[in-house]
Amino acid sequence: MEADLFGLTKGDLERALNFGLSRGGEFAELYFESRTHASIRLEDDIIKDTAESVVLGLGVRVIKDGQTGYGYTSDLSPDGIRAAASSAASVAGGGVGPRASLLSDVIRGREQESLKAFSHAAPLAVKIGLVREANEAARRFDRTVDKVKVSLSDFYQTVLIANSEGLLAVDQRPLLRLGCLVLAAKGDRREAGFSGGGGRVGLEGLAGAMSPAAIAVDAAREAVDLLEAREAPAGEMPVVLAGGHSGVLIHEAVGHLLEADFVRKKTSVFWNKLGRRVGSGQVTIFDDPTIPFYRGSYRVDDEGTVPAKTPLVEKGVLTGLLQDRLSARLLGRPLTGHGRRQDFTCYPLPRMSNIYIDRGEFDPEEIIRSVKKGLYAQRFTGGQVEDSGKFTFSVSSGRLIENGRLTSRVKQATLIGSNLDILMKMTMVGSDLAFSLQTGTCSKEGQDVPVTDGCPTLKISSLTVGGSLGA
Amino acid sequence: MGPELSLGDLRLTAARLVDKALAAGAEEAEVHVTEGTEFTVDVRLGRIENLIQAGSRSLGLRVFLDRRAAHASSSDLSEDVLDGLVRRAVDRVRLAGSDPFSGLPESLEEPPDSDALGIFDPDLSSVEPRTKIETALLTERLALEDRRITNSHGSSLGTNASTVILANSKGFLRDFHLTHCSLSVGLQAGETDDRVEDFWFSSGVRWTELAPPELVARRAVERTVRLLRPKKIKTQRLPVLFEPLMTSWLLEFLFSCVSGTAVYQKASFLAGRRGERVGNSLVTVLDDGLLPGMPGTRPFDAEGVPCRRTTVIDKGVLKNFLCDAYSARKLGLRSTGNADGGGVGPNNFHLRPGSRNAADIIASTDRGLLVVKTLGHGLNPVTGDISRGAFGLWVEKGEIAFPVSEITISGNLGRILADIQDVGCDLDLAAGLSGPTIKVGEMTVAGT
Repeated sequence: MEADLFGLTKGDLERALNFGLSRGGEFAELYFESRTHASIRLEDDIIKDTAESVVLGLGVRVIKDGQTGYGYTSDLSPDGIRAAASSAASVAGGGVGPRASLLSDVIRGREQESLKAFSHAAPLAVKIGLVREANEAARRFDRTVDKVKVSLSDFYQTVLIANSEGLLAVDQRPLLRLGCLVLAAKGDRREAGFSGGGGRVGLEGLAGAMSPAAIAVDAAREAVDLLEAREAPAGEMPVVLAGGHSGVLIHEAVGHLLEADFVRKKTSVFWNKLGRRVGSGQVTIFDDPTIPFYRGSYRVDDEGTVPAKTPLVEKGVLTGLLQDRLSARLLGRPLTGHGRRQDFTCYPLPRMSNIYIDRGEFDPEEIIRSVKKGLYAQRFTGGQVEDSGKFTFSVSSGRLIENGRLTSRVKQATLIGSNLDILMKMTMVGSDLAFSLQTGTCSKEGQDVPVTDGCPTLKISSLTVGGSLGA
Repeated sequence: MGPELSLGDLRLTAARLVDKALAAGAEEAEVHVTEGTEFTVDVRLGRIENLIQAGSRSLGLRVFLDRRAAHASSSDLSEDVLDGLVRRAVDRVRLAGSDPFSGLPESLEEPPDSDALGIFDPDLSSVEPRTKIETALLTERLALEDRRITNSHGSSLGTNASTVILANSKGFLRDFHLTHCSLSVGLQAGETDDRVEDFWFSSGVRWTELAPPELVARRAVERTVRLLRPKKIKTQRLPVLFEPLMTSWLLEFLFSCVSGTAVYQKASFLAGRRGERVGNSLVTVLDDGLLPGMPGTRPFDAEGVPCRRTTVIDKGVLKNFLCDAYSARKLGLRSTGNADGGGVGPNNFHLRPGSRNAADIIASTDRGLLVVKTLGHGLNPVTGDISRGAFGLWVEKGEIAFPVSEITISGNLGRILADIQDVGCDLDLAAGLSGPTIKVGEMTVAGT
């Protein structure tokens, strides 16, 4: 129990919270974080480097009239804690705040079996073996494979959250990631492929479709296939998104604008659309932080809230938002457990965890057959959205669809559109829900957090494709 | 953890840790310490949203043995934690592969005097929090006075001061101080279902270099409202003009292609082309780590190599790649003082300006697209291919006619460098990685 509380007692935490409220703040919160990170990097067939990092710190947040004061420190002595609390307290202009409530018993969220087997305790030599396994599998795949980079990284984060309403919560979060980048070369042509896997799992998670060899072969295949790929077409056309990786489109085009801070500020195009139709009747979207072992999952969020699977869009109607405490209070809506932060130097923001479009009724084959001429988008390198709903995302590899059949491979295209428009144009949603690689990271206001996204095969009846044609 | 440490204490900590690493069996060791203070205020609709005031420290360590390497870092500077970190790093280093190119830089030349570089504002610490908050509030208020602005992302003012200390087993022990200030405001115009948005900012080393709130607000308003009521255009090939901020992202992409890391990994279309013509004669690209008072200026890089001025492309001819010690050895070159702690980073990387102003370049364009904003990724250094979402202004008979949205621009950086027809004089080095307005002969713009 003592170890859970970063060597402090409940009395120490209550004193720090009261210090945070001493200038008239209404709400105070302490966020303690301890994180270790170990990584291995292989390149040119040799283990280039190993690294270890240690992070220990405290962030103090004080809220007064919806205004946030924030201080942080890596000095966890009584003086260091007081200094951070004092910085945060200064957002309140003065006067007398409430006293902090006595802290409750510790909230831990739901227990998950696999979270007991942590990779950070495994011997380095074992991890190096996995990295070499990936390297060799990629090298063996094809003689055009020219360069292979493999990295294995594992985090282990412990957080403690205490607030002036008496909440006390802890979470332990492992996070493992094996990534493999392959360059293939043929004549003058060079192409890259990437794949990866992991999640909130121990080393046993790197098995089956996520074994080091399977990941390496997946990356090598993309690079080698791209050597034969044509330039992508440009213009407006039907686009079929392959299941799994295409979840990034939902993340960018829809998820961000359902983060409640953009809604309360009325900068999101969705701010006035709760309860209204925003997409075709085929579209149902959830964000679920409770999916076992996924990269975006957690047992309590970074404000101590136990999260739940959250419906966002149901049969085309906007029904939910991603909430943190501040936005939920200002909007008068229930908490959903989506208050997340990059680390102790950052205040929480409403964020996605594992967002996905739910499975629909169409056979994926039937969806492809319905397109006369269009693009089948398979792999992506990322995307971006504006609050206005304008988004882009980058397709790294795909196929042409001609007369209902997948034909030539194509490379590098950009999809651009506005989110209300494409949600309405999602006319066929497949029955084959799948999730992206367990390697995703989402950035917002300079804060990076691990995420996963997913979707079934689906058709957008018309979208602007900016190809690589004619460059 | 632990009590307040003075600069002298931190220098001692760094030097002592180097010694401990050698005592534990390392052949070479390097310790990097940064200490900083941050003040940030975000205001929105006339009220404070966030007020952040904090200090932090971190320490990074590299050890080498038999040309093998290991890294470690910590935000906890207590002695027992650091001792454990050193011990484990020296244990780990034996498990790495031997790499003939690894190790500290060979010989360290004397770096320039950091005081003469003008990268620290001694007066910044005396600017009151109240003044900073009021500056942000005023900037947003002035922007919201324009009735075409319908919502605000808020205004932010941030100041940072930091100290960097570097020690290594070749007897290097030096430090320098840095400051940075920035002011920005983000706006929306139009109604909910057809909103447009943009922002403007000012930044610099010194508090007095920040542009006045009136100017930042006015530029943000102009940039936002010019995007209202956009049209779609047909897919076509035409001349494309880039505003300075857009030239900056092209340069960011170019940087990733001339970085020694990408070059030795053959992950750049410019690998192996040193000495060759890669652009036309209007293209001169420099990386200058010694420009006085600029945000990318430093006396020495993260490995202690003095920063310098490097000509990357000279009138179209590729002269140099930018390297840290490792990538330099891999390529048979010398470090250019661009180590950034994890690899290779830019100092003040910029395209040399021409003589024409932006208005003249637009006026001399019969038909074209002025790119003002991009969205998304879509850059491939291996091939130089670009495919990216964009917002632009349609140029017709030398004048800006209307805004354009939902387009993507595609092309190839190699072909762009060979096809630059005009370079403006409007370079703002305070932006760090920067370029002036440019005009490219022809690119593909995909629309409907």
